[in-house]
Amino acid sequence: MRRVLLGGVTALVVLFTVAPLIVLVFSSFDDGKFFRFPPREFSMRWFEAAFASVEYRSSLLNSAVVAVVATLISVVLGTAAALGLQRTALRSRAALEMVLLAPLTLPLVIWAIALLQIYSWLGVGGTFWGLALAHATFTLPFSVRVMLATLSAIEPGLELAARSLGARPWRAFARITLPLALPGIATSAALSFFISFNDVIVSTFIAGSSWMTFPVRLYSQLRGQGIDPTTLAIGTMIIASILIVVALTELFNRKASRA
Amino acid sequence: MKRPGPKHYLLAPGVLLVSCVFLAPFLLLVVLSFWTQPEGTLLVEPSLTVENYLRIFSDPYYLRGLARTIWLSFATVFFSLLLGFPAAYWIVRRAVRLRRIVMALMLLPMVCGALLPTLGLVNILSPLGIINGSLKQLGLIDRSIPLLGTQTGILIGLIQAFLPLMVLPLVAVMERLPLALEEAAMSLGARPPQVWWRVVMPLAAPGIVAGSVLVFCAALTSFVTPQILGQGKIATFAAMTWQQASLVLDWPFASALAMVMLLIMAALACMVLGFRRLNWVRP
Repeated sequence: MRRVLLGGVTALVVLFTVAPLIVLVFSSFDDGKFFRFPPREFSMRWFEAAFASVEYRSSLLNSAVVAVVATLISVVLGTAAALGLQRTALRSRAALEMVLLAPLTLPLVIWAIALLQIYSWLGVGGTFWGLALAHATFTLPFSVRVMLATLSAIEPGLELAARSLGARPWRAFARITLPLALPGIATSAALSFFISFNDVIVSTFIAGSSWMTFPVRLYSQLRGQGIDPTTLAIGTMIIASILIVVALTELFNRKASRA
Repeated sequence: MKRPGPKHYLLAPGVLLVSCVFLAPFLLLVVLSFWTQPEGTLLVEPSLTVENYLRIFSDPYYLRGLARTIWLSFATVFFSLLLGFPAAYWIVRRAVRLRRIVMALMLLPMVCGALLPTLGLVNILSPLGIINGSLKQLGLIDRSIPLLGTQTGILIGLIQAFLPLMVLPLVAVMERLPLALEEAAMSLGARPPQVWWRVVMPLAAPGIVAGSVLVFCAALTSFVTPQILGQGKIATFAAMTWQQASLVLDWPFASALAMVMLLIMAALACMVLGFRRLNWVRP
């Protein structure tokens, strides 16, 4: 009895967490302009509309470009920082780790309000680089955490062995540690990319009309006009690509751990 | 050959980025909240006045917004704990094969951002949506129950968004509890509810506290979900702040509003640390 109850609550929690995404996917195939339940007819028309729409395409492209640049910065700096943390004396380590993980613990909304003002004084408000830098900053802690976990699982003796056999430090790192850390790097890149791509909280504050990302566009549209079913189709494709990337990194991780 | 020495320089770029782009703005926010913006202009004047704070605490609009937001945040914490605690226990004690999948699903909303789940929630809660549609099909109601644009709708959205923030720390803490403790209590004659109340709950207290603080802070500063699900009718404190910053463009005042949220969170953090020092979570 208790077992059933526990399992039931867990099922409810899981359902509660994923139900909105399932409904989003489900409703994107509905023919109507306004979603209603029970649904009327199955249709792909909103997907056709999504591919035909030029305005959505440009905002999606904006999001993708920002996410790629933010991911590059986040993964490179995050990996370097994790390596540095791993080889740092214990006392300063906790403090440095706290600084690096701060964007995870402090609320982004409050940060965004301050950043909005600083950016406008510096004249980078609404620009691509301002946005990319902000995205790199709040995705950095994810890379740091994943890379810390990855690096701590790598046997330190391996790199030492390479060194003792005469490899220069950089070569030992590139030939031993880096390949072993590759699954972690892939995971941090995937996490950073999608967190940046889907961010609406920070971007609505600092992104102007000049570099409008898809979530910012969607948010202002939702407040004004309600749901355009085309965006449901785009949302479905975003979720599908997240699932594909998650499956790929999982496969990659398994392959790497077997090899 | 010597061991690889400390590599502090590797940390520099990351620490620099977070310090300059993330931490410095928080310091600036404190200063800015004491500045003013003369009426009718968009210029800010450096000064040192508590005018902004007085305005917040003398205007019923902001006070009511604050009270509403705090109430919603507490309700979110309560329901997340109610649902999250048994779920975390199940994940740690019962799940074997499903565990990885369940944990991955808990991370999914974080990767999807705030908007995609909200889009789905609108279609669940709307007058023609899943909930009202199925209730009508079952013949339980004739007219739609209003869910969008109500506090109930917002609460559902907040619980949905932040439930994983409760489950993840609870799982992390419960994982470290040896099963032997529960077995020992059972063998000494404790009934399952007693084991839960007297053994599992007190030992999981750090996880409960961590999860509750995370969920509370997230709910307190949320504005995307409440704004969409509230249909703009119900303003949370963060939404008011966003309005001042993005629409009214009164930045010093927006900074003061943001500082109020930050101070509430700081007070909460101090309370938690204080309780911990008093050994409140005595096993």
